[in-house]
Amino acid sequence: MTNDYGGIVVEGVARSFGTVQAIRDIDFEAPPGEVTALIGPNGSGKTTLMLILASLLAPDLGTVRVAGFDPVSHPAEVRSRVGWMPDTLGVWDSLTSLEVLKTLGALYGMSAADSARRAEELLVSVNLTEFGRQPARVLSRGQQQRLSLARALIHDPAVLLLDEPASGLDPGSRVELRSLLRSLAADGKTIVVSSHVLSELDEIADRAVFVSRGQSVKSQTLDEAGSQTRRYYVQAEPMSALAEALSSYGVRFETRGDSRREEFLVQLGSTAEASWLLRTLVMSDVVVTAFAPAGGALEETYMSLDTDRR
Amino acid sequence: MSTVTEPSSPQPVRTAALPFRSAVRTIFVLEMKQRLRGKGWYWMLGIWFVVIGFIFVLGTGVIGTMDNQGGILFDLIVGFVLLFGLLVAPGLSANAVNGDRAGGTLAILQVTLITPGQLLAGKWLASWVGSLAFLVLSCPFIFWALALGGVNLQEALVSLVMLAVELGVACAIGVGVSSLATRPLFSIVSTYMLVALLAVGTVIVFGLSTLLVMEERTVRSSYYTYPESSIDSLGVPAPDAEMECVAQTYTTDLPDTQYITWILAANPFVVVADAVPYTLPEPGSTGGQPMGYSTGPFYTPGVMETISQGVRSAQAGPDLEVTCEESMGGVQPLPQGVPIWPLGLGIQLLLAGGLLLIGRRRLTMPARRLTQGTRIA
Repeated sequence: MTNDYGGIVVEGVARSFGTVQAIRDIDFEAPPGEVTALIGPNGSGKTTLMLILASLLAPDLGTVRVAGFDPVSHPAEVRSRVGWMPDTLGVWDSLTSLEVLKTLGALYGMSAADSARRAEELLVSVNLTEFGRQPARVLSRGQQQRLSLARALIHDPAVLLLDEPASGLDPGSRVELRSLLRSLAADGKTIVVSSHVLSELDEIADRAVFVSRGQSVKSQTLDEAGSQTRRYYVQAEPMSALAEALSSYGVRFETRGDSRREEFLVQLGSTAEASWLLRTLVMSDVVVTAFAPAGGALEETYMSLDTDRR
Repeated sequence: MSTVTEPSSPQPVRTAALPFRSAVRTIFVLEMKQRLRGKGWYWMLGIWFVVIGFIFVLGTGVIGTMDNQGGILFDLIVGFVLLFGLLVAPGLSANAVNGDRAGGTLAILQVTLITPGQLLAGKWLASWVGSLAFLVLSCPFIFWALALGGVNLQEALVSLVMLAVELGVACAIGVGVSSLATRPLFSIVSTYMLVALLAVGTVIVFGLSTLLVMEERTVRSSYYTYPESSIDSLGVPAPDAEMECVAQTYTTDLPDTQYITWILAANPFVVVADAVPYTLPEPGSTGGQPMGYSTGPFYTPGVMETISQGVRSAQAGPDLEVTCEESMGGVQPLPQGVPIWPLGLGIQLLLAGGLLLIGRRRLTMPARRLTQGTRIA
């Protein structure tokens, strides 16, 4: 039943609700010490997969191992090792943040002293110390989101499942969330993050699994994503000189229409190719005013998958 | 969020099950904190106090001159506390589980080490204690009635204990239904329906069932009257005439209620009334004199004692031999035959326990089947 490999291994999982096939066939792997992004359009089965990993849903088919245990046959082992932050904010309005954390600690079998100490520490890590003794209903959405994260961490789980953790967070909190997740990963935790904010994930995640219509369609590491063919946008003064130079070097370009300023999009196979083009343009006296990847690495993959978005 | 804190004392997380009592206590405390910090519960308590007080004062005024005043008042309060308790308990319990689900907090509890049984036990205990507060709040009136005399300690004690038990049953039904039904409103209404089924439905079914057990019976009925010879042409008996006992026999359809009394058993009012050991007056000490009108204390049972007597007479079946003493003495107290409340309480516990068991299965995660329209989180 168990294996030494922590992390998460999911093979061929399917799950339907009545006639709705929420998950058709998902393979998924999240190694310890890394942040794995779960990416897909709305209704693609991300949350369903998260519920299966959190031992709340049983899959119809397939095998699941979370921290080495099967959530169906060994739910208690999985639960003691998994921290889950749902996408819905469940709040006990009248309880203070500290009470919420201590209650959850008690329900994970921690002693009162341990969970009190851990709760205080977590409030510091999520910047909620001044709200520790305030009822949760006075917290803003972003603060409740951070409390929810602290709650998921109360029993120091080896596996962390975060469903849309960045939604509702202000930019500062996002940066802090990022560094918190990176340092948790550095401690060897397995972290799964689902999110729509692909540029966020670019900086947090080590690898990404793309799901679409209940199927895992692609899995890649960020290094792979970074070295794939990407689009760059280029601006110059004037644009006509740029067009001339690009044509003369045989670089195909298109005019991007969805931006306020006119800009050209070029498809480049690697970062080496990109630096070559930039250098060449500058050397041929084109006044380049902007030269940058058109989107994040993950966004490139996401768009290139051509998944039908609903 | 800049620093990650390790647990201060690194230790492997135990996967042993949570100890039952501490898990239940945690849920209980969680529920009670929310209840004590909300306003709704205090409002309900306040309204309750006013209503019970109003009824008590009204009752005192109406029956102030009757015999057995303390007993009747005590009985009245017990009856009303039971009635209102059955109205309050579903409200306190029937959204315990699906209310959490709607608020998104149920799943958070479910991913911890707590088991569904512990969760339900904690929720039930919290709603029971919450409804016991209403009983406690009625105590001033109960003690007042007791102070008026006429009620012995045992009777009072059993009444209170049975009230508490019935509130617990209603709460258990509510918690059970709330773990089955998706929407809080639906489960509250369903719980009211179930409680009404017990409190009113049993009486209706009993009443209708009497038609099924109708039998043609010969009844011998006796009564005192003046001999015909002593009555003059105007119908006035002679002054020195003595009354005599005359028997009359007739046939009529009577229900054999002894076969269907069990239907009433699960009625909460019957359970409480039947369990209470009322002190009955000595046979013959009230009424029953062949001549004229009794001067002694009449047998005047209160509301609950009347229910108790009704059940006993239903258990006894039709009286085929009405003696002269019976016809003169008015209501005669019936002693307890076979107690029916253990049967009733058993039925109630089966119902509540069954609901809780199904609810526990429904709350066991990972879920294979979800009810239509449910979302886990």
